[in-house]
Amino acid sequence: MLVADFEVARRAFPVRLSFELEPGERIALLGRSGAGKTTTLEALAGLLHLTRGEIWLGQCRLSAAALPAADVPAGRRGVGLLRQNPGLFPHLTVIENIRYSGGVTLATAAAAGSRLGLGALLGARPKSLSGGEAQRVALARALQAKVQVLCLDEPFNSLDRPLGLELLQLLLREVNEAGTAAILVTHQLEEAQAFAQRVGVLDRGIMLQMGDPRELVLKPATAQVAELVGYRGWLSSGDRKMALHPDLVRPLSGPDEGAQIAARVVGQLPQGARIELELEAVGRWAGRFRCLADRPAQIGDQMWFAAPGAPIFDTDGMPSGD
Amino acid sequence: MVGALIVWVALLGPLIALLAHLSPSAVVDALRQPGAFQPLVTSVLASLLALTVILLVGTPLAYLLARDRLPFTRLWEIGVILPLLTPPLVIGLLLIFMAGPSTPIGAALSHLNLTASDTFFALVLAEIYESVPYYVLGAEAAFASVDPELEQAAALLGDSRWRTWRRVTAPLAAPGLATALAVTWARAMGAFGAVLIIAYHPFGLPMQIWTTLQETGLSSALPFALVLLVVALPLPVGAYLWSAHARRRF
Repeated sequence: MLVADFEVARRAFPVRLSFELEPGERIALLGRSGAGKTTTLEALAGLLHLTRGEIWLGQCRLSAAALPAADVPAGRRGVGLLRQNPGLFPHLTVIENIRYSGGVTLATAAAAGSRLGLGALLGARPKSLSGGEAQRVALARALQAKVQVLCLDEPFNSLDRPLGLELLQLLLREVNEAGTAAILVTHQLEEAQAFAQRVGVLDRGIMLQMGDPRELVLKPATAQVAELVGYRGWLSSGDRKMALHPDLVRPLSGPDEGAQIAARVVGQLPQGARIELELEAVGRWAGRFRCLADRPAQIGDQMWFAAPGAPIFDTDGMPSGD
Repeated sequence: MVGALIVWVALLGPLIALLAHLSPSAVVDALRQPGAFQPLVTSVLASLLALTVILLVGTPLAYLLARDRLPFTRLWEIGVILPLLTPPLVIGLLLIFMAGPSTPIGAALSHLNLTASDTFFALVLAEIYESVPYYVLGAEAAFASVDPELEQAAALLGDSRWRTWRRVTAPLAAPGLATALAVTWARAMGAFGAVLIIAYHPFGLPMQIWTTLQETGLSSALPFALVLLVVALPLPVGAYLWSAHARRRF
């Protein structure tokens, strides 16, 4: 089990985190750019010294702020790191890259490469690979290092979305089969939900909330978390703010069906097979929000909406009492 | 295109002129004269020794400079560039002041049976000072061209610093290092200014060319000039071709 409770100093703000990771468990850290996600992974991988606290993997203390000289060096602590830049060694072929860690036989490396769809490319040099192929090689190489925890720093961010999601599924299969615990950092909720059993929301170096990926969207602990997990509509009433998620707002055919919000249509955009309506609330709540509808509407039309369980926050962004 | 061609021909002009004035038999005849072969041997041996010293001392220094691992990096770089900016004759004079027989360093050297004046040791010393910046600056650029993230990737895969250097840094910097080494070889073989001051004897090839020119004229000196080019140039040209080929592979 990985137990991390540490602080790492940075120029803008320190990263202070405390979490545990069970063997074989997958978690995701979600946050905007600069939230401290990469710093967290680099501290776990042994690339940064701690300014407070310790990191343990099983019975082995990997890092301790009190004794940085005794930190287990990167590459020998059972923690791997896969970055957005695959970092393949350009002078080595694909199979030589996969075999880079000591003790990997040619047959094992070839099998690992073939499993990731690289069978025909084992003799190729990285220069001739596409972005997706290069990331597959980097993944195969990281898995061959036989780490207990694999840190994934937005590895598929530079790829187009369908390819990124395909590789994420591949990654999921591989870490599951190897029984490797994994930490994925990302700024895309969809990626975090597809990969992890638990998702933590990170902002300015602090973990705001950690929990079940769906629960996080349904019950964000603070207004900040709500914003980070996709709540884009904010209505206010006095000193209270209601957060609305486009997926969780339901249009009604009239005001009598338990409507919570009345609003006028101010714009609309096709969104796949559905229409995203832009709405201006009228009545008790004021502000703009969006909602997915099955049919287009007329600009200026008045509509009624239900938003069951929509979180309400006070001015400090904390859950409101009523 | 035409302009580029003119510049290219102009740069090759001296070599073309040399070849146009020489027959192979003139070179053979010149080398057959009594004692004519010894300066070539002296120059090759001295340059090989200078190159070995430069390689051993300059490589770690160039790597540390490229990775900003030294405090006051710019100050170190100025130290490296200084011999390049100083006229070779002045280097020779300063070496006399620094390591001549009457200086403390000269006295220390004498305990090792070495003298930095008119000896083989002095010749090597002068060649080192004249050529070391070419290697350190070239090697620094070669190391700087290696992405530090690749070194980090190797460390994350379990390599120690030395293993990372051996498996990643050195192979990727090799084309640049080869070019730097080859240029340094050419500079060491052709070192003259500082050599004239502190190592007139034993005669190396450049000194032989100079004295022959002084004593018997241009036509007698030309064969030795060709020999110097033949010995000094193939390595740089070969290294350039190899490094261009290696760079394409990466």
